[in-house]
Amino acid sequence: MSGFVGGLIWGLAAGTLIAIAALFGVWWERKVAGRIQMRIGPQTTGPAGILQTIADTLKLILKEDITPDQADVRVFRLAPLVVFVPVAMSFSVIPFAAGFAPLDTSVGMLFFLAVPALSVIGILLGGWSSRNTYATIGAIRAAAQMISYELPRALAVLSLVVLAGSIRPLDVMAAWSPWWIIATAPGFIVYFIASIAEVNRGPFDIPEAESELVAGYFADYSGIRWSIFMMAEYGGMVAASLFGAAVFLGGWNWLPGIGGILVFVALTLALVTAMVWVKWTYPRLRADQLMSFAWKIMTPAAIVQLVVVAVIAPWL
Amino acid sequence: MIAEFSASSIAFWLLSAVSIGSAAVVVFTRDVMRLAISLGVFFLTVAGWYLYFTHAFLAVAQVFLYAGGVLVLVLFAIMFLRRSKAGEPILESRHSTDSVVIAVGLGFLVVMSLRDRVPIALPQQAFPTTTELADILLGPMLPHLAAVSLLLLVACVSVLVVFGGERE
Amino acid sequence: MNFVLVASILFGLGLYGVLSRRDVIAVLASVELMLGAATVMLVGLAGLPSLSSQGGADPGTIEATGLLLLVMAAAAAAVGLALLVAIARSTGRTRTDELTDVRDRP
Repeated sequence: MSGFVGGLIWGLAAGTLIAIAALFGVWWERKVAGRIQMRIGPQTTGPAGILQTIADTLKLILKEDITPDQADVRVFRLAPLVVFVPVAMSFSVIPFAAGFAPLDTSVGMLFFLAVPALSVIGILLGGWSSRNTYATIGAIRAAAQMISYELPRALAVLSLVVLAGSIRPLDVMAAWSPWWIIATAPGFIVYFIASIAEVNRGPFDIPEAESELVAGYFADYSGIRWSIFMMAEYGGMVAASLFGAAVFLGGWNWLPGIGGILVFVALTLALVTAMVWVKWTYPRLRADQLMSFAWKIMTPAAIVQLVVVAVIAPWL
Repeated sequence: MIAEFSASSIAFWLLSAVSIGSAAVVVFTRDVMRLAISLGVFFLTVAGWYLYFTHAFLAVAQVFLYAGGVLVLVLFAIMFLRRSKAGEPILESRHSTDSVVIAVGLGFLVVMSLRDRVPIALPQQAFPTTTELADILLGPMLPHLAAVSLLLLVACVSVLVVFGGERE
Repeated sequence: MNFVLVASILFGLGLYGVLSRRDVIAVLASVELMLGAATVMLVGLAGLPSLSSQGGADPGTIEATGLLLLVMAAAAAAVGLALLVAIARSTGRTRTDELTDVRDRP
């Protein structure tokens, strides 16, 4: 039973973490985007506008939860949860501190790659059940994109697995040495780009491209269900950044004790900021550019990275 | 047999109920989306069975390949072939006693042929580590692995051929 | 009641679906049920001591075999779905009793 209670506590903790990450992330994104576009961003609600997203959240909760007339109601209501739950689950295997991950499993690296991939089912369900052409096209685009970018992402993480000789995240962290950053730099870049594509953020946001598809697969969602989709996006972004900061960049290995945690948080924040930066700097890709980029550049690069790592691993 | 009240037996009954229930929905539902969703639930319960048999790696591979891969392909196929309209997508079945007899008979045959082989309770066995698995896959089972990889490549190419043949 | 019974029920349900369904997607889904049931049965049975004592496999080999089986079944499903979509696009038919191109028509 203690395992059950522990799991419950960690589930609540992960849910709270994602909610805070989403609140903070939206504010941070608007600030950074403002700076990039030579504006100030939100500034009136609270110091530096930090309470703006809380006000927005209250507004979203109070808004009417509209279900389209023709929609397949049950599937329509289920879809946001199917998107959100896998993202929340992926937090459980991240190595947060030395010798500590909420779910310390021997297959953690694979778990982190496999479970968020289930979100795509929720996206397809949402797009289908809206009975809306924009939503259906958005869902099909999202599925094609997420399946394509899963492959280079998994291959990039695999190069770390080869170096560490284990797929338990804590073992990888224990075996980590600063040389890995140089050895797996291309892999990290592939992982970073594929992670952006995996959470459907710009420049890879063709599934929700507002200039062509209104809002893609969640065009018909409103109020709290819409915000669950947004929380899944920010949660996925933070999860990918945490994981990347830990296993690729060493996370808390740089300094002992509390200093290591601070370094880990700083690296994560840097990655989140980089994702925001990329979104507001690059224009959106076309669907065919997106696919050829995944299959002709990212996947071969990840395979070359894997071969290089496999060759040099015995000497490192 | 009196089931003892333990975490393992709860897991067993829950897995049995959910897997049989979702399989029944797959076989009998008339709505194509309900079919896809319950197929997904079924794939996840198969992963649950592997966990129950203490094969964690198999469970994660099942989630990755089936729930994340095959199910998405099934949804793709559904979306390619049908339009989402209210009340429209009805799946037809032709229920007949012959099919019932064949299915029940074959299931019964399987159970009867295995009845004296299988003890009631599942023994706790050693948890195979991923390192052991790698040693086996790259050691004695390397030819098998190579053959399956080749098969996968052939499957990949054949899917491309089947789909690319349409383009003119 | 043990997993053999559950896996047999799942297999029987899948078989019934294959026999009774008229839509190719539903038939394919039922085949997936049968494959899943068979793999559960294999992995479960292979770990039993009654088999191990007769020279059965160790857990690692079972897991490796199960993994290869999973990959093969997934590849088969992908090819099957591709064929299904190609047939449906070229003939416009998705019901098994309509797909009679290779059968002599009266």
